[in-house]
Amino acid sequence: MTIKTADLKAALASLDAEAAKIVAKYDEKRAATLTLLHLGQDKIGHVTPEVEEWVARWTDQPVVRIRAVVTFYSMYHQAPVGRHHIRFCMGTPCVLRGCEKLLDHVKTKLGIENGQTTPDGRFSLEEAECLCACEGAPMMQAGDDYHLDLDDKKIDSILEKLK
Amino acid sequence: MSEPILSRNFSVPEAWKLSVAEGRGAYQTAKTVLTTMKPEDVTNAVLASNLRGLGGAGFPTGKKWQFLPKDGKKPVYLVINADEGEPGTFKDRYILERDPHQLIEGILLAAYAIGSKKAYIYIRGEYVLPYRHLQAAVDEAYARNYLGKGVFGTGIDVDLVVHRGAGAYICGEETALLNSLEGWKGYPRLKPPFPAIVGLFGCPTIINNVETIACVPHILKNGAEWFAALGSPGNGGTHLFSVSGHVEKPGVHELPMGTTLRDMIFKHAGGISGGRSLKAVIPGGISAKILTASEIDVKMDYDSLRAAGTMLGSAGVMVMDETTCIVKMLYYAAKFFAHESCGQCSPCREGTGWAFKIVKRIYRGEGAVRDLDELLKIARGMEGRTICVFADAAAWPIQSYIGKFRAEFEEYIRSKGTALARPVSPYKPQAAAPAVSTLVRSGARRLPER
Repeated sequence: MTIKTADLKAALASLDAEAAKIVAKYDEKRAATLTLLHLGQDKIGHVTPEVEEWVARWTDQPVVRIRAVVTFYSMYHQAPVGRHHIRFCMGTPCVLRGCEKLLDHVKTKLGIENGQTTPDGRFSLEEAECLCACEGAPMMQAGDDYHLDLDDKKIDSILEKLK
Repeated sequence: MSEPILSRNFSVPEAWKLSVAEGRGAYQTAKTVLTTMKPEDVTNAVLASNLRGLGGAGFPTGKKWQFLPKDGKKPVYLVINADEGEPGTFKDRYILERDPHQLIEGILLAAYAIGSKKAYIYIRGEYVLPYRHLQAAVDEAYARNYLGKGVFGTGIDVDLVVHRGAGAYICGEETALLNSLEGWKGYPRLKPPFPAIVGLFGCPTIINNVETIACVPHILKNGAEWFAALGSPGNGGTHLFSVSGHVEKPGVHELPMGTTLRDMIFKHAGGISGGRSLKAVIPGGISAKILTASEIDVKMDYDSLRAAGTMLGSAGVMVMDETTCIVKMLYYAAKFFAHESCGQCSPCREGTGWAFKIVKRIYRGEGAVRDLDELLKIARGMEGRTICVFADAAAWPIQSYIGKFRAEFEEYIRSKGTALARPVSPYKPQAAAPAVSTLVRSGARRLPER
């Protein structure tokens, strides 16, 4: 499934009013880079060249500079991910409390490895560094939400609800 | 300890809403201070309280504020480091999500003390719910004129912008945070100049941790002497300790500075899960050197832990019981540092990668005893040779895990990873092999192109 460049540009243009407000909050335009990338990605699903160009225009920077930023941070997706992106925490406290077995469970259940997306585009999986919710280890983030104190059953019921 | 201070609202429902927070006394101190005290008196109170930076470095907060140029013509910025990412640490998340008005009140007081009209909070990107609560709190504070132009009807302006990060551990390093906030890669900057002289947008900048700033209203409300007396000498106040791993009651425990590690684990965190015995503790986030079960009578404050050869760091206490495989723990620590090195300095970029490769080989049962000395050599080559302390932090787990558990490493290597009992998660060669292809050497993580 490919989205046409014209459609992407129209979608981004619908964010212009919000982008103007964001840029105005910062003392310098370029400081809005990360925030605008989040905004564009939330709208499009991942950071396409059009999103990079849009952010470059709003922040008055060369596109290559935006590209460098996009490749540096783990939260910007350069390719489509699932509707529900799962960050599975592999930090030390989660390892101590048995996250490896649960990760295997998730991989088996979804049939994907770290960095992959299910063929139906529903889930993608990322083995994440510590998400700092160690009191509820093992834990994972599905989309925006943190899910703590996981076990096989709890994972099954969380994944079941995410359509 | 009698009463919680920083955590007093953590279990109050919806304390992130202004009406609830005000019912619990929020902003009263700021109103009084901004109308009756001079900025330098606020700084002096913070100085006298022995408040130290609770993000990990432990630098005296009042002293940091005094580093600002006295008659500067440039604007002064206050930046709050809410980029919590140190593995084993989750205390700031509680403040951001459950009691953000405590932080905003602290920001008002700190901004007043240092003469700043503009503050930024840099919150880690993955913290979505904390961000929503924090932003809602900021919006409510603006609506009531507790932020913005002429706060509380005084002539004082304080603007506050909440800025989301995008997933890079290094941005918790304060100068990397500034570069990231300016819209660039999170590359740490060479110091000097220190941010107090040349910081955000080239202007004088004070960067403080969330919890540090959350302490400020309490210091001004109850007095610097009261705060100093709560802790141990030179280490004022209480601290939010994040306790995790093999304990009965993992969670945020607010305890006085100087509480012993033994009391923390066995009294406050309910002891070791399942009645098993203690093997080791990491006392201050993944970067801190490991302590063995015989070393837990140490007091948990900056000075005592430094004397014990480790550090308080972010106060992320990770407890490991007798079933823990230290080789596995080093594998995950080395993986973390290899993943998160920003790639700017060669000793760190290359060193963390080499160390991870070797530890991975050992963990797979393909190591040799001489690999241990090679790891120590790599660690020595990283320590103190880079722009920021990330490389040092990456070296310390290698040095301390091997230093204190060498016999276990050697036994693991000789038995090809089969001798030790690991009931928590049995060793599986295929499953243990990480997808190396997803590890981008610049330190950035991304999903592979499909």
